[in-house]
Amino acid sequence: MQYIDGGSVGYNIAVLIKVIPDLEQIKAASGTGQIQIEKVPLRLDILSEHAIEAAVQLKEKYGGKVTGFIFGNNESIPLMKKAYAMGVDEGLVITGYKENNPTLTASVISEKLKSLQFDIIVLGNQSADTYTGLLPGMIASKINARLIGNVLSIEIEGKEVKARKSLEKKIEVVKAQMPVVISVTQETNQPRLPPVMQIMAAGRKTIQSEEYKGQTPSYTLTKSRVAPKSERKKQIFEKPEDGIQAVVRVIKEEAR
Amino acid sequence: MKAIVFSEDGEIASQMVNYLKGKAEVIASTLTEEKEKCIRAGAEKLYLLSGIAEPENISEAISEIKNATGADYIFIGSTANGRDIAGILSAKEDMKPISEITSFEINDGKATVTRFLYGGKAVSTEETSATLYVYAPGISESARAESDTPTETIQLKEPSVKPESEEPKTSGGVDLEKAKIIVSVGRGLGSKEGLGIAEELAKKVNGEIAGSRPVCLDYHWLSEDRQVGLSGKKVKPKVYIALGISGQIQHIAGIRGAKTVIAINKDKSAPIFEECDYGIVGDLFQIVPKLISAL
Ligand SMILES: Cc1cc2nc3c(=O)[nH]c(=O)nc-3n(C[C@H](O)[C@H](O)[C@H](O)COP(=O)(O)OP(=O)(O)OC[C@H]3O[C@@H](n4cnc5c(N)ncnc54)[C@H](O)[C@@H]3O)c2cc1C
Ligand SMILES: Nc1ncnc2c1ncn2[C@@H]1O[C@H](COP(=O)(O)O)[C@@H](O)[C@H]1O
Repeated sequence: MQYIDGGSVGYNIAVLIKVIPDLEQIKAASGTGQIQIEKVPLRLDILSEHAIEAAVQLKEKYGGKVTGFIFGNNESIPLMKKAYAMGVDEGLVITGYKENNPTLTASVISEKLKSLQFDIIVLGNQSADTYTGLLPGMIASKINARLIGNVLSIEIEGKEVKARKSLEKKIEVVKAQMPVVISVTQETNQPRLPPVMQIMAAGRKTIQSEEYKGQTPSYTLTKSRVAPKSERKKQIFEKPEDGIQAVVRVIKEEAR
Repeated sequence: MKAIVFSEDGEIASQMVNYLKGKAEVIASTLTEEKEKCIRAGAEKLYLLSGIAEPENISEAISEIKNATGADYIFIGSTANGRDIAGILSAKEDMKPISEITSFEINDGKATVTRFLYGGKAVSTEETSATLYVYAPGISESARAESDTPTETIQLKEPSVKPESEEPKTSGGVDLEKAKIIVSVGRGLGSKEGLGIAEELAKKVNGEIAGSRPVCLDYHWLSEDRQVGLSGKKVKPKVYIALGISGQIQHIAGIRGAKTVIAINKDKSAPIFEECDYGIVGDLFQIVPKLISAL
């Protein structure tokens, strides 16, 4: 427990939010198959929305304050409003993000987290666009916090967090002392759709931003980014009878 | 190059050993319980980690192995704990990471990898100087060597995250990656009761049942280990039969290795028809019984 803002008791919670291109709207150029993401509208990463929901639920249940962090660029700033509307109290957007570089993202965010003494840091287990899944471990390691990854549910008692982890073959219940880094899975919760009043109130709140001015040391060179090729035959039957015949033939052939 | 591979799943560790053989000198590591699945994978040496295992103390043990062997590369199987281990190691050992690789080639110390981006919409080919790789399970088979690999046991340190209890996830112990025929179901099934007909078809063709994510994860009509797709299993059967699956890109990412894809969907414009070899437009509850009797 901590005293926050000189008065109310509760936990000091951080949530990490990634802004990504709207995947539904990404298209491949006809002919070359090159993926085009310029001009694709931005949105919050769905896993980050699950993380926001988890952080806000913790605040609602146990008291405290939720601070959101985005490492992005100028275009990301307005997207913090959605986080506010969902219940995030304060937000900081660090601009200067150039490309997917987990090492850099982890160090930029960790620097901020270190100075602010959080009890709980919540983030997604794998972001929807790059599917990296490395930030939880990197951040926990850099700020010297316990890591509880891939959680389904969280309970708190004093300085102790108890959570159910979703692994491939089992669900594991673990306990750890704060500070903890918690990554959430898609099954954790259903991100709320904020009511209009909250959306309007969120629009009036200030969003802090500052620029990351350091270098972006690149260790990876992208050679190509193309739509996966489909060489399927695409024989589509609208008359089921014909289709069944063809399919039976194929199955018999292959099952031999 | 000298590489350490680790997965807490012995089968995935064996796959990585087999995948990297010929490209590197491979040192394997897994949990003691998984010894049997890994002892004949063909590694130079096998480290068995024994004790209460959490990402935190597993990564410490891998650091130890790195120091002891002078390995310059680390490959971790992409599982829930595996990704956490990779993240910790990357920060602790200051190794540049690259995630979810679906192929890896190395020439003169320069690595080229491919991986999916944007939810499976793009295949990205990248040249990288990364030394820590997260391997997408199922991109290669495991192999069985002639003889046992020499082993060494490492005692895991006490973790600060304490496991209290565990519940098994319901699983039929399926090995979808090895199935020759897969009958896969989607939300188009309507309800769990709809499964009956799919199971009947699977039985008829000697196949395994699988499903899309909503069916496995949200509705629990099937166990989670039967989920096919980007965040599920990458399968490569001879025949993949998709019933009532729309064919979203994240699902397709799991079936690119299938030889023949057959789809039944009542919506003519469903994206699955762009990603199948044979498609039948219609109600699966009318078509599948006919298909079963014709087989
Ligand atoms: C980060 C991320 C990872 C994901 N990973 C995966 C993954 O690994 N695997 C996965 O599957 N999904 C994954 N998804 C989800 C994916 O985007 C889709 O939501 C999901 O695949 C849709 O499942 P579906 O096809 O069963 O359902 P729907 O999209 O709802 O499709 C149901 C289909 O059934 C058809 N239908 C309905 N009734 C009938 C009938 N009687 N007869 C015939 N057809 C009928 C409909 O026409 C429709 O096309 C992921 C999503 C994200 C964001
Ligand atoms: N640039 C970023 N800014 C803030 N949070 C991020 C950023 N990138 C990733 N995250 C958080 O880390 C989670 C896992 O992302 P990743 O490790 O990139 O797959 C996401 O779901 C977010 O919660």
